[in-house]
Amino acid sequence: MAEESTRRRNVSSSSYGNSKKEEGFVYDDQSASQDDADGKGLSAKHAKFLPRGQQHVRPRRLPPPSTLTEFIQQNWEWIPPVIYTLLAAFTRYYQIGKSNVVVWDEAHFGKFGSHYLKRDFYFDVHPPLGKMLVGLAGLLSGYDGSFEFKSGEAYPSHVPYTAMRVILATFGVGMVPIGWFTAVELGFSQRACHLVTLMVLCDCAWATISRFILLDSMLLFFTFTTVFGLTKFHNQQWRSFSFEWWFWLAFTGVSIGCVDSVKWVGFFVTALVGLYTIEDLWEKFGDLQMPIRIYLRHWAARILCLIITPFMVYLASFKIHFLILNHSGPGDAQMSSLFQANLRGNDFSQNPLEVAYGSKITLKNMGWGGGLLHSHPHSYPTGSQQQQVTCYHYKDDNNHWLVMPRWDEKEYDPNGDLRFLQDGDTVRLIHASTGRNMHSHPLPAPITKLNNEVSCYGNATVGDHQDHWAVEVVDDLNMGSKDKVHRIHSLTTRLRLKHVAQGCYLRAANAILPQWGWKQVEVSCVKENNPRDAHTYWNVESHWNDRLPRGEVKLYRSPFFRDFWHLNVAMMTSNNALIPDPDKEDILASTPYQWPWLNVGLRMCGWGDQQIKYYLLGNPIVWWSGTASLLLSLVALGVYLLRMQRRYNDFEPGQWDHVLYVGKVALIGWFLHYFPFLAMGRVTYIHHYLPALWFSVLMTGHLLDHFIFKSKRLSERTKWTVFIFCALAVIETFLWFRGIVFGIEGPIQDYKGLLWRKSWNIY
Amino acid sequence: MSFMERSANVYATGIILGAVAFAVRLYKISNPDEVVFDEVHFGKFAAYYILREYYFDVHPPLAKLLLGAAGWFVGFDGQFDFENIGDSYTEHHVPYIGMRVLPAAFGSLTVPLAFAIMRECGYPTLVAAFSASLILFGKSLVHNGHVAQVRLILLDAALVFFMTLSLYSYIRFRKLRYWEFTFEWWAWMIATGVSLACTLGCKMVGLLTFATIGTAVLVDLWNLLDIRKGLSLEHVAKHFFARALGLIVIPFVVYLSFFWIHFKILIRSGTGDSFMSPAFQETLQNNEMLLNSQEIRYYDTVAIRHKDSKVYLHSHVERYPLRYDDGRISSQGQQVTGYPFNDTNNFWQIVPTKSLPPTGRGRIVRHKDVIQLLHVNTDSNLLTHDVASPLMPTNQEFTTWPANDTTRYDDTLFEVNILEAHDGEPWKTKSGQFRLVHVPTRVSMWTHSQPLPDWAFKQQEINGNKNAQDRTATWFVDEIVSDETGNDIRNRTGTVEDKPVKRLNFFRKFFELQMLMLQHNAGLTASHPYASGPINWPFLISGISFWTHNDTQRQIYMIGNIIGWWTCVMALSIYVGIIGADLLARRRGVYPIPDPLRNRLWNSTGLFFAAWAYHYFPFFLMSRQLFIHHYLPAHLASALLAGGVFNFIVSETINYPISVAGPSTRLRPKTHAELGLRSFIAVGVFVSALIAMFIFLSPLTYGTPGLDGNQVNRRRLLSTWTLHFAGK
Repeated sequence: MAEESTRRRNVSSSSYGNSKKEEGFVYDDQSASQDDADGKGLSAKHAKFLPRGQQHVRPRRLPPPSTLTEFIQQNWEWIPPVIYTLLAAFTRYYQIGKSNVVVWDEAHFGKFGSHYLKRDFYFDVHPPLGKMLVGLAGLLSGYDGSFEFKSGEAYPSHVPYTAMRVILATFGVGMVPIGWFTAVELGFSQRACHLVTLMVLCDCAWATISRFILLDSMLLFFTFTTVFGLTKFHNQQWRSFSFEWWFWLAFTGVSIGCVDSVKWVGFFVTALVGLYTIEDLWEKFGDLQMPIRIYLRHWAARILCLIITPFMVYLASFKIHFLILNHSGPGDAQMSSLFQANLRGNDFSQNPLEVAYGSKITLKNMGWGGGLLHSHPHSYPTGSQQQQVTCYHYKDDNNHWLVMPRWDEKEYDPNGDLRFLQDGDTVRLIHASTGRNMHSHPLPAPITKLNNEVSCYGNATVGDHQDHWAVEVVDDLNMGSKDKVHRIHSLTTRLRLKHVAQGCYLRAANAILPQWGWKQVEVSCVKENNPRDAHTYWNVESHWNDRLPRGEVKLYRSPFFRDFWHLNVAMMTSNNALIPDPDKEDILASTPYQWPWLNVGLRMCGWGDQQIKYYLLGNPIVWWSGTASLLLSLVALGVYLLRMQRRYNDFEPGQWDHVLYVGKVALIGWFLHYFPFLAMGRVTYIHHYLPALWFSVLMTGHLLDHFIFKSKRLSERTKWTVFIFCALAVIETFLWFRGIVFGIEGPIQDYKGLLWRKSWNIY
Repeated sequence: MSFMERSANVYATGIILGAVAFAVRLYKISNPDEVVFDEVHFGKFAAYYILREYYFDVHPPLAKLLLGAAGWFVGFDGQFDFENIGDSYTEHHVPYIGMRVLPAAFGSLTVPLAFAIMRECGYPTLVAAFSASLILFGKSLVHNGHVAQVRLILLDAALVFFMTLSLYSYIRFRKLRYWEFTFEWWAWMIATGVSLACTLGCKMVGLLTFATIGTAVLVDLWNLLDIRKGLSLEHVAKHFFARALGLIVIPFVVYLSFFWIHFKILIRSGTGDSFMSPAFQETLQNNEMLLNSQEIRYYDTVAIRHKDSKVYLHSHVERYPLRYDDGRISSQGQQVTGYPFNDTNNFWQIVPTKSLPPTGRGRIVRHKDVIQLLHVNTDSNLLTHDVASPLMPTNQEFTTWPANDTTRYDDTLFEVNILEAHDGEPWKTKSGQFRLVHVPTRVSMWTHSQPLPDWAFKQQEINGNKNAQDRTATWFVDEIVSDETGNDIRNRTGTVEDKPVKRLNFFRKFFELQMLMLQHNAGLTASHPYASGPINWPFLISGISFWTHNDTQRQIYMIGNIIGWWTCVMALSIYVGIIGADLLARRRGVYPIPDPLRNRLWNSTGLFFAAWAYHYFPFFLMSRQLFIHHYLPAHLASALLAGGVFNFIVSETINYPISVAGPSTRLRPKTHAELGLRSFIAVGVFVSALIAMFIFLSPLTYGTPGLDGNQVNRRRLLSTWTLHFAGK
C-alpha cells in the first residue's frame, strides 16, 4: 500500500474545468496530442519510445575492423540471431530424412507438387503459391513428378524426398531469426527477445510441422514476415514517406500477398494489418496540423501497398499456376468447359460440333464453381426417394446423358435421318449408365426446399410427361446472340433447360448435399424464371456421336479473370463442404476449445512398433504460458483501465501507448487467428492453431517484459533468476519431447513420461 | 407547453393507442378455429401442464406456464393433442379463444408500454406515438408481423412484452440516478431484474436482453467510477453490489423459481421422459423405469435395446456375404443386426467371466463387469473383431462365434459400462443405460439408421464405433425374459410393486434440464421451407406461412407491415450515418451537434440501437434453424430507435432535463421540444399510410376473407413472399 500512495494521482484542477468536453475517455491528459503543451505531436512521442537500435541513429561510420574481437564488437547485435538461426537449422534439419515414408499430409501436398512438375491441371482448396514452392523444391532437388505420394508408402529411390523436405524446412528455420527481429522491433528487452526466440526455436509443434513436405512452414513463415513488416513499419512512422517507411510498407504488402496465396488462413493476419492501418489513419485524421494533401497521401500509400500489392501477388500466383498447369489433369471438371478445351491432352475440340438426337453428352453448369450434371444409383432418402441427380466435379461415366425425343414422338432410330437439336426443342435426357430419365415433380428439393426436386426415374419404356425438358438457348460465344443460333454447338452454346410440365428451370447452385449425396452439389428445378441467373446456364461439354464428323472448333481463349474468379469460387465452395460428418468419426480432428490448453495431439503417421512415429504436439510450457498470458493480459488491461478511471498514474508519458500497442498486436492477432475457427462449420485440426500461437508467444514475452524485465522495482538478480528459469523450462521441455519431433523408433512404450495429459493419444 | 404535452393528453394518447392495439389484436381472434403453425407445440405444452404430464422443450417454461394457466382458467381440460396444423378446435370443444387472448393481451400491452418508454426518455408525445404506431401496425407484434405473431398461442408475445418491460423499468431506474438507494430506486431496479428474468423465462433470447441492460449498467458504473465524479471507491462498490444483487442474483432466483414451479406441476410421466436421465425419470409418477427397473443377475436371459432408435439387439442364422457391393470382404460370420420387433432371436443370456457365489447378491451384474453375451437360439457368443462392417469401413463388424469353440474367447469379452455409475453399481433393466465396450479393441457396440441391403432383410446395421464415448452408443436392457432356472423372475424381488417416487435435488434437476435445453437448441439444424437467414429479416424478404385453408382460399402469412419495417431500416441507417458523421467531425475539431441533443442521441437512442444490435447480430453466429419471428425483439428496438431518429430530424430541441432532480442536483433550465406543424402532418400522413398498408395486408393477417389469385398476387409486394393460392 505504501507503494500505491506514493504514486502520483494527477487529478488536476484543469481536468475538472474541462468537464464540458469530457466523454469518459481516459487517455486525454496523457496521450491526446492536440493538447500537448509542448506541441511536439505524434513524431515526438514515437521518437521517445523507439526500441533499441532505432533510438540512436547509428553513430558515425566506424573504421573497418582489424581484429576478430573488434568485428564482433561492431556487429554485436547480429550475434544472437545468427546463433539462433544455426540452432534452428539443427532442430529443423536434424535427421530430416529418417522416415522414408509419406507422412501425413505429404500425401496431398507432395502430390500437388508433382502435378506442377508434370504440368497436369489439378484442383485443391488452397491457393497455389505454397504448392508451387513444393513443386519448385521438387524441381531443384531433381524430382521428376512421377511418384503418387500414397499415404504411408515408402519413397522409392528416385524421389529425393530428403532434399525436398530440407528446402521446405528452410522456411521453418527462417521463422526463428524473424521471431528475434520482431521482438526487437516491438521494443522488448534483451531478455524478452531471447525468451521469445527460444520459444519459437523450441516449440515442438512448429519444429515438427516444418520438417515435412507441407504448406504450414510457409504459412507460418509468411505470417511471421507480415507481423515483422508491420512492426518495422510502425517504427518508421515518425519519418513518413522516407525510403525505409516505403520499403517496410511495401514489404508488409508483399508478405500479405504471399501469406494469402499459401492458405486463406492468411486473411486473418491481413485483417490484423488492416485494423492497425484503420486505427493509424483514424489517429492521423484527428491530427489537425496535418495538411489534407499529406493525409490523402497516407491513404494512397496504404491502398497501393496494402491492397493493390497483395492483390497483385495473389493474382500473379494464379497466373503462374495457370501457365504451368497447361495439361489436362484430375482437376479439369472444376473449371469452365472453355478453359478445359485449352488444356493440352484434352479432346474437346475433337467433339462433333453440332448436337443431334442420339448424341451422348455431358452438361456443364456455367455458374461459378459449377460442375457436371450427374446421377448415380443411389436414391434420395427424402422426398420421392427416387434416384439422385447431382452436380459432380470430376469426370466419370455417370455424367453421360443421351439426348432422346419426347415420349409422344417417334422413338429414336439409330439408322434414321440425323436430326439436330435446335433451340426450343423438347427432349428427354436419359442417364446413360442407369438408363433412367431425368425427371422433376412438384416435391421440395432436399436442401433448397422452395425448388422442385430433380430425380432420375423410369427407364426406356416407363416414363411420363414429367421427363420432358425444353432446350432454351441463351446465346453462343461463337455465333452470337440467340437469334443467330440454330443448332446447339458443344462448348460454346449457353442454354437453359426448362421443365415443360412445371415451368421450372434446371439449376445447380452451391448447396451441398449431406453424406447420403456424397457431398455433391444439389440439383433442383427453380420455379422463378430469372433469365440472368448463371446457375441455370448449361453448356454441352463432351459430345460423342459416331454418326457425326469430328469438329475442329476454333478455340476461344478463356479470359484469365474469369478463370481466376471461377477457381476461387470453386475453392470456397469445396472449403465450405469440409464440414464434420456426424456419422463419421475423425480421430485426427479436434475442436478449437481444445487447442489453447493443448488437450490434443495428432498422430502424423502409423503407430506400429516398426514405424518411425511423429506426434504433432506443442511444447506444453510454450502453449500453456501463452494461454495464461492472454488471460492475464485481459486482467491487466482491466486493472489498468480501472486505475486510469481513478486517475492513478502508472505510466510515464507515451509508455502506455507503447505497452498498449504491443498488447493490441498480440491480443487482437491471436483473437483474429482463433475465433474464426469457432464460428467456422468446417473440420478443424490442431495445426490450425499454429499461427495463433505466435501471438500468444508474443504476449508471453510482452507480459514478462512489462512486469519483470522492465520493472524498476525488481533487482537484476531476480530478473536473471526468472529469465534463466523460463529459458531452462522451455529448453528442457523441448529436449524431453524431442523424440516426437525427430521421430520415435521402436515401440512407443519405451519412451516413458510423455503422457502429461490423459487426453493425448501418444501411447 | 404545447397542447399534446399536457399530461391529460399524454395519458389519453397512451390509452387510445392501447385501445386500438387491443381492438386490432382481438379482432376476429376466433378465426381460424383451427390449429395454426407452432400452436401445434405450445398448445400441446399448455395441455401437459393441465394434465401434469412431464414434457421436454428447448424453451424455458414461463410463457408456457402462463399459457397453461390461461387454459386452466378458461376451463380447458387438456384433452386435445394439437396434433396437426388445421385440426379443428370447435369440433373438440377447446376453449382456444381464451388461450389466444393471453398472447394478444401481451401484444397489446406492448404498444402503450413502448409509448411510455418514449415518453420517459423525454421524447414528445407525437414522437412516442410515432414509435408506438410502428409497433401497433407493425406489424410484427401482432399479425402482420407483430399482429400475427402475438394473436396466436405462441411465446413471442410474452417475450417481447417482458423485454419491453425490462427496458421501461431500466429507464425509470436510470432516471432516478440522483435519488440513489431510495425505495423507488431499488424498486425500479428490482423490477428491471424481475422483467429480465421473465424475458429469459420465455426464451433463451432473453440473454440478449440481459446483455443490452448489462452493457448500459457497465457504462453507467464506469462513469460513476470516474474520479471526477468525486465518489469514493466504497461508494462505487456499493453501487456495484446493489446492481449485482438486483440485476443478477434476484433474476437468477426468479428464473429458478419458474423451473421450481415447472417441476412441481409436472409430476407424472409423459412424453418428455425419454430425454431425461434415469435418475430424473424415477422421480416421475407412473414412469416405466420406476415401475419396472430391477437388478440383473448372471445367467438371466435379456432383450437389449438401443436407446435412440429403439431396435433390439438381434441375430439370426444367416451369414454376412463374403463380398460386398463395393468389393470389400467380410468374415462371413453370422449376422448381428438391429430389429425393431419382438422376437426370440432378440434373446441373449449374460454369461459371467468370473466365478460366482451360488446364491445371493454376488450374482448381480455390476458396473464395469466383463461379460459374454450368448445368443440363445443359435448358441453362439457375441463377438467383434478388426474386420470392417458392411456399411462403414471405419467401424468394426459384429458377429457371433459358436459357444463351444473357445479359440476366439478373448474377442467375445465385453465390458458393461453403465452411464453415470459409481463403482459396483448394479445393472438394472430400463434405468441402467450402458455402453457395451469390447475389451480387446475398446470399440462400443453402436447402431445407426441406415438399413443393410436385402441379404439382411433391411435390418439395421450394428457395428463397433471406435469413439467408445459416442453419446448414441447407449443401450438398455428392456426386460429380463427368464433367469437361469426358468422361474418367473417377477417373484425374485418383493419390491416390484408400489415403488415410491424417488426424489431428486431441485438443482440437479434444473441443471440437467438446462443443459439438455441448450444442447437440443443448438441441435435444431434441420432445414425448413420457411426458415430464413438473419440478413433477410430487416428487409422483410420472406415471411412464414402459418396456416392455409384450401376451400375458401384463406391463409395466414406472417409478414410485417412493409412500410413500417422499411422505415425502421431507414432509421437505423440514418442513425449510423449521423453517429459516423458526428465522430468524423469531432475528430477534426468540429462540434456540429449541440451537447444536450448529442447526449440524447448517444445515450437514449444509443440504448435502443444497442438493444437492436444485441437482439439481431448474434443470430448471424447461430447455426440453428432461424425464422423471421426471431427478429421481433430487434424490430421493437428499431421502432423505438426510429422515433429517436425522427425527433432528431424534425427538431433541434428536446425535452430536458428528464432525470428526476435530486436534492443536490444543480437545477438546469428546462427546455421543451418544439415540433412544428409540419411534423404533425408528416406523422399523420405516415400513420395513415401505415394503416392503409395494414388493412391492405389484413386478409393475410387475420386469415379472412379468402382471396382469389389476383388478389393474392397484388398482395405479394415482394417476389420472394411465398403466398399460397397465387394466380398464374
